[in-house]
Amino acid sequence: MSRESEPAAPREPDLLPFWPHYVLSEFIAWYIVLGVLITLAALFPAGLEEKANALQTPEHVKPEWYFLAVYQFLKVASVFASLGSEAPRLTGILLPAIGMALLFFLPFLDRGPKRPARRRPLLLILTILILAVVIALTVWGQYS
Amino acid sequence: MLNPTRVSQGLLAWIEERIPVQAWIAASLHVTIPRSAHTFYLGGITLFCFVVQGTTGILLALYYQPTPETAYDSILVIMNQLNFGWLIRSVHAWSANLMIIFCILHLLRIVLQGAYKKPREITWLVGMGLLFLTLGFGFTGYLLPWDQRAFWATTVGTEIAGAVPFIGDFVRQFLRGGADVSAATLTRFFGVHVLVLPVALAGLLVLHLLLIHQQGLADPEGDENE
Repeated sequence: MSRESEPAAPREPDLLPFWPHYVLSEFIAWYIVLGVLITLAALFPAGLEEKANALQTPEHVKPEWYFLAVYQFLKVASVFASLGSEAPRLTGILLPAIGMALLFFLPFLDRGPKRPARRRPLLLILTILILAVVIALTVWGQYS
Repeated sequence: MLNPTRVSQGLLAWIEERIPVQAWIAASLHVTIPRSAHTFYLGGITLFCFVVQGTTGILLALYYQPTPETAYDSILVIMNQLNFGWLIRSVHAWSANLMIIFCILHLLRIVLQGAYKKPREITWLVGMGLLFLTLGFGFTGYLLPWDQRAFWATTVGTEIAGAVPFIGDFVRQFLRGGADVSAATLTRFFGVHVLVLPVALAGLLVLHLLLIHQQGLADPEGDENE
């Protein structure tokens, strides 16, 4: 029997107590993360470069890793130069901004009743595609 | 004769008579979650990272000096002279990165499980606000060590904001507190990092948790039926 063929009838979910079951496992997760943090900090302490000098630009200037995708996309957007002198700047900023706006309003754009991703193939494909592009841009930005 | 057990019981009863603390604790803990809900603890770990950031951040703020002349040297003191200063700063830096990673993983979990659907749209919007504030924390915090990497990453970052059509120049000036990254930039980034963002994030966080508590976790196997 495939789940898709069943009518979407409301059903009572099996319930677990939040306390102490879930709280205990959450605390175990926190304890592991604390261990990971201290290990990372001990093995790879936060670095410090030369003191800031406004007159001396370093060779490889990059933003933080979580802004690299947008930064790289802004650089790549120069391919739109044939559409006009302002086109690269506009697309380079506006496309990521529109993407963030769409993500922000996701609950109002996707109003279908189905929850699990395996029953929403379009959403699954879009998520994987966007994730792949963002990761690719980030890696590209890191090594360019 | 003072019996410690009786004194503490009496104190608890005295408080309970005035504010029902035990009832509040019971109401917040004694809830149920669907057996099929898999959170992978992602949101909770993000919360834990925020607690670590608050704790280590307060300790760093006791020694850090937010001026271009002294910032770099105060970081050197924290790293080389204070007991465990290097550990506190390194944990703060690592926890900042982990917090953003777990924010993103938490967001992906919510997307793939469809947990943002009715009636949880407001929780989603508040969560997006929390993500933006977390990125703001990263952006402002990165400048504070005032080394070459910090200075030029901020120069590039504010340059990206300056590419926004029409309002770009204003945004860049506003972020930098002038034409270039300078003492004014460091002062306002520090103020935003230690005052504005923590208050804003704590407020949204309380709202996020209240909404989750009110509505319970979404059942990923059940379709929207409320």
